[in-house]
Amino acid sequence: MTAILEASGLTKIYRRGREEIRALKEVDFTVEEGEFVSIIGPSGSGKTALLNVIGCLDTPSKGRVILDGTETTKMKERDLVRLRREKIGFVFQQFYLIPTLTARENIELPLLFSRKGERGRIEEILDMVGLSDRGDHLPGQLSGGEMQRVAIGRALINDPKIILADEPTGNLDSATSRMIFELFRDLNRNGLTLVIVTHNLDLARQAEKMYTLRDGQMAGCERPDLPGNGRDGRR
Amino acid sequence: MNFITLAVKNLMRRKGRTGLTILGVAIAISVLFSLIALNTGYEIELNREMDSFGAHILAVPKGCPYEAASLMIHGGVIPKYLNISDLEAVRSIDGVEVASPLLMYQFYKRDEATGQNNPHIVYGIKIDDMREIKPWWRVEGRFFEDDEKKVKVVGRELAEKENLTVGQVMPFGPHREDFTVVGILERTGDQDDLLHFLPLEEAQRLSNKEGKITTISVKVGDLGRVGAVAVEMEKIPDIQAVTMTQIMGTITNLTGSARSLLMTVISIAMVISAFGILNTLLMSVNERTREFGMLKAIGASGLDIGKMIMAETLIITALGGLLGTVMAVAGSTIIEGFVKGMLPYAPLGSFIHITPELVAFSLLFSVGLGIVCGIYPAFKSSQLTPMEAIRGGLE
Ligand SMILES: Nc1ncnc2c1ncn2[C@@H]1O[C@H](COP(=O)(O)OP(=O)(O)OP(=O)(O)O)[C@@H](O)[C@H]1O
Ligand SMILES: [Mg+2]
Repeated sequence: MTAILEASGLTKIYRRGREEIRALKEVDFTVEEGEFVSIIGPSGSGKTALLNVIGCLDTPSKGRVILDGTETTKMKERDLVRLRREKIGFVFQQFYLIPTLTARENIELPLLFSRKGERGRIEEILDMVGLSDRGDHLPGQLSGGEMQRVAIGRALINDPKIILADEPTGNLDSATSRMIFELFRDLNRNGLTLVIVTHNLDLARQAEKMYTLRDGQMAGCERPDLPGNGRDGRR
Repeated sequence: MNFITLAVKNLMRRKGRTGLTILGVAIAISVLFSLIALNTGYEIELNREMDSFGAHILAVPKGCPYEAASLMIHGGVIPKYLNISDLEAVRSIDGVEVASPLLMYQFYKRDEATGQNNPHIVYGIKIDDMREIKPWWRVEGRFFEDDEKKVKVVGRELAEKENLTVGQVMPFGPHREDFTVVGILERTGDQDDLLHFLPLEEAQRLSNKEGKITTISVKVGDLGRVGAVAVEMEKIPDIQAVTMTQIMGTITNLTGSARSLLMTVISIAMVISAFGILNTLLMSVNERTREFGMLKAIGASGLDIGKMIMAETLIITALGGLLGTVMAVAGSTIIEGFVKGMLPYAPLGSFIHITPELVAFSLLFSVGLGIVCGIYPAFKSSQLTPMEAIRGGLE
């Protein structure tokens, strides 16, 4: 298996006035192609910082990130825009849907920026996230879980190499959260690479690998491999 | 989807705010449009009025202020007189082509319909001289001869108002003598439409001003000699010579302060509306920073975000410009009435001139306003790093 993401010695220092906050301290982190990875850790441990740095939304203070074979750490903003467009799909806790766009239009939105004309995949993606009959609904007419499905669809439209989700179920009840994780597992079964930050240990255990961040450092990696995951034979 | 539809959808999120901003732009643009229309129209109308007077120099009694002379252009009456002998003196000046005497007086007549006392203005004229000054005059019926008695020619509008027809005999003057309407002037579009024209001597007789005239209109052969002729005319003891250029200057001065006030109003309206737009834009940009972070995360570049903001701004100002122009065109008569009341000298005709150029200008101006107002918010949001945006830190 090839590593789609390789981060080594990642350090992120935020400055707040005189104060220096070390959000990440020499973190090494690798994700193989087709892997489903979860990250847990207490609040303030640096989960969002890590996700943003590997997702090229933020630059590390030290260390380097190699995404799909290219080093992103020294890239110019222009190339980073392309990289985010083509290789990464982001999902956020707050969904961030545009309320006056329908589900279908929200999913389509990244195509406006990537200037891809073809919209054939939209129906396929609506189907993939289980919203075939909800395409024309506005976000206000959808439940929280459905809104997050729209956001996931939007992350998928550009056919990314990797999906990065920051607490995607943080605003959802537990039943809905489980359904969203079901969706993630389905997507993973179809070959998609996923990195998901969550507070929910039960859900995190559904991943193939579960990393724990503590105080800006990688404190451990488990392979839950719970029976009934249906993936036991894969490794 | 394209940037325009995205911008429209974004604007729809705050319908009230968007609507009010558009209305703000519309009001500013309609003020701008109306005042420019008035300002250019005013000049055009003034020039037309000067031309329709036909003369280059006006001889008025000494001591008659320019302002009064200006008012005479559309039938103001001044209570001072020249002697008919002055006419010969003017005629003998080298360069004078036509010198046309004029006696003006005013009387009031009860209007049967409204019961109000309306002023009527009478011009006593030498018909041949007058027709040289106003070669465009045409008449239904005929002009009178200078030595005819108890005849008159009336302006078209007056004839319509009073139901006069050619050949009609009507009581006229202080002793209600029987005057015959021998002719009705064809419409000239200026003050002449409202006047009674009498042979000079009849006008003198009716007003008890035998041998007197109010003014002499002078046409010179060579326009380059207007100044010199005016100087010669001033040498005649009774006469003060006023050239049309001076009258124009006086009117322009009279109205200048009112018009510069209007211009100040325009500028202030523009500045206020520009700041209003800017404020609204910054507000909507600030509250959406996190969303811009999301947009960057899903592949938007800084330029894309800037373009989106710019499109939103341009839609607001273009719609505002369109609405404002429509408002200005629709409300032009109301605005004209208001402005006419403010100006010390207003031409009689309508002076709102709405031209395609002006419409194009006001639409372009509103787009320009959008660019000016949009550039800063657009630039500001395009410069956000994804991280600043995601954490919501614009300020
Ligand atoms: N822009 C910033 N400026 C200063 N400090 C920051 C900034 N962003 C993050 N931090 C700090 O870095 C540390 C890690 O933050 P991070 O957001 O990664 O935590 P987290 O693990 O995602 O927490 P949570 O579970 O609450 O989302 C925290 O102490 C936080 O206060
Ligand atoms: Mg976080």
